[in-house]
Amino acid sequence: MSSVIEIQAISKQYPGAAEYSLNTVSFGIEQGDKLGIFGPNGAGKTTLISIICGIIQQSDGKIEYHNENGSVDLRSMLFKIGYVPQDFSFYPELTPYQNLMYFGALYGIQKAELKIKIEQLLAVLGLSHVTHKKVGKFSGGMKRRVNLAIGIINDPDILFLDEPTVGVDVQSKNAIMTYLEELNRSGTTIIYTSHHMNEGQEFCNRIILLDKGTLIANDTLPALLEAHNESSLEALFLRLTGIEYRD
Amino acid sequence: MGKLLASIKKEFLILINDKVGLLLMYLMPILLVFIITLVQDSTFKLVNDNNLEIIIVNKDKGDLGDTLISHLASTGTFSISEHHELSEDGIQKTLLDGNEMLAVKIPANFSESLNAKAKNISIGMLSEFEMADMSDQVEELNILPLEMYYDPVLQETFRFSVLSTLYSHLSILENRLMIEQLYSEMGFDEIPEGMEDQFMNNRIGIEQVSANNSSGQVIPNSTQHNVPAWSIFAMFFMVISLGGNIVKERLSGSFVRLQTIPASFSLVLISKLFMYVFVALTQLAIIFALGKFVFPLIGLPALVLPSNILGLIVVSFLSALSAISFAMLVGTYAKTQEQANGFGAITVIILAAIGGIWVPSFVMPSYLQTIGNASPLHWCLEGYYTLFLKGGDWYLLSPTLLFLIIFILACQILVYIKLKIQNYI
Repeated sequence: MSSVIEIQAISKQYPGAAEYSLNTVSFGIEQGDKLGIFGPNGAGKTTLISIICGIIQQSDGKIEYHNENGSVDLRSMLFKIGYVPQDFSFYPELTPYQNLMYFGALYGIQKAELKIKIEQLLAVLGLSHVTHKKVGKFSGGMKRRVNLAIGIINDPDILFLDEPTVGVDVQSKNAIMTYLEELNRSGTTIIYTSHHMNEGQEFCNRIILLDKGTLIANDTLPALLEAHNESSLEALFLRLTGIEYRD
Repeated sequence: MGKLLASIKKEFLILINDKVGLLLMYLMPILLVFIITLVQDSTFKLVNDNNLEIIIVNKDKGDLGDTLISHLASTGTFSISEHHELSEDGIQKTLLDGNEMLAVKIPANFSESLNAKAKNISIGMLSEFEMADMSDQVEELNILPLEMYYDPVLQETFRFSVLSTLYSHLSILENRLMIEQLYSEMGFDEIPEGMEDQFMNNRIGIEQVSANNSSGQVIPNSTQHNVPAWSIFAMFFMVISLGGNIVKERLSGSFVRLQTIPASFSLVLISKLFMYVFVALTQLAIIFALGKFVFPLIGLPALVLPSNILGLIVVSFLSALSAISFAMLVGTYAKTQEQANGFGAITVIILAAIGGIWVPSFVMPSYLQTIGNASPLHWCLEGYYTLFLKGGDWYLLSPTLLFLIIFILACQILVYIKLKIQNYI
């Protein structure tokens, strides 16, 4: 497998902060990965994803993006990156259709193509019946699915998901994770953060563990479990990050 | 271009999806202009259309008190009610309890003292020509003043207006008495026929002419001031909706997502600029149309549009752009919606106050007038004054246009700097 994104010694110190949120973190994201980034609160997961997606700038280090033509800059890569933030990132005053039409147009997708894509996406995510209803009135699970739909409207090669199933019911969670599996099978590389260890254990083929801004583990789940003689991701997580509160 | 159109469409949809917000955005400025114009117009009529209710307490033992009352009644300025029995305390109580806001008490020796004064002046004048003997002068009386009582809420300008009317009619009365006395001392039984009428009614008039560049004379009235003034205020007050809207979008997840899309936040701002300038201009068009066509139907003066229509369009466009640029500036720098709303609203109120929206700038102290020159609302209003009241040509409009362009550029540059610093564009 080839590396699509190469993270090289990334550090981030926010203005006024005494400590680094990320400290010389390096790893590669392979084509077709289902990469899970885990860590306690404040470990630097969201900061790491935000830097990779270009939302914030790193203080130090370098990121290389690759496509079929070789090394490219982030701007070119943005057309092929999808991002599903932890917070709801849509306009609640608009319907799912209007939201998707807007974000799709920003990617430069033609109107006719966009309409077909929206219809398919809303059907797959079980939102067809509320296509023309305002998102602000949806349940948490429906909002999460709209959030996901917007993140994949551009058919991304690489999809970043920051806690995509937080606060949703079991049915919505199942729908989201099933769809992510399908996307990955069709070739989409997925980078995912979560606090749900069971979900991560089932979904991810590679695990990265962060603690206090430092990368403490990076391997396939079986290899990590074997190396640390643990039976589950949660047990491994507690062993490596400790049991103290991280508020 | 497709991204910009999509972004403008999104702003449009957000705007029309908020039906209540949209209604308020258009209805509130209309109500504001209607109410302020009605209030100011009725105040104007209060002084000019025989609507100022005044109590007269005539204690005079002669007939000059009655003469003064009939003179005041003939001015058409006052609606007089006579309550001669009222004491000083009674007058004060009536003013505080009743509808009247003014009372004038004519003293008991009013006729006697005025006659004595006129007699002594006429004897003095005639004695200069050796036509009378100064020894004929009567003993000077202690002339008691007229007393004007007023409700404390009555504005000073009204009091001065009533005072000058009273002084004017007292002078007429005094002069007439003096002439009568002169004729009497010279041995005439009465003033020659027609003389009194000529004296009383044949005064030199004063024609009011406002400085104006156009051939047609535009009479300044409450509509000509209030329609543009409060329309400007309403446009700038959009800082509450637009400023808050920008902060909300900046702080929301959708903004984070925008950073991961090949489109920048400046696209969002430009689309907001388009949409809200459109809203401001349609607001203005509706209010102007109401001023022109609806105001006359409810007894208000009709809005007279200037002859320089292109100038009106340019001033309106730059005013709208100034208001929206200011809102964008507030929305970009504020950290929370509360900051944007609070700071924006109070700043607009202050800028309106020093800019002459509420009271004309010329009545302010000179230092406030100087400070007021920094208010964009002042320059917007100056633009409309130049057009509506001075028949303004492009030369007269040029300082206004220059200031507004500089203000818009300054706001946009500051917005750009902030977005650049924060890596938003």
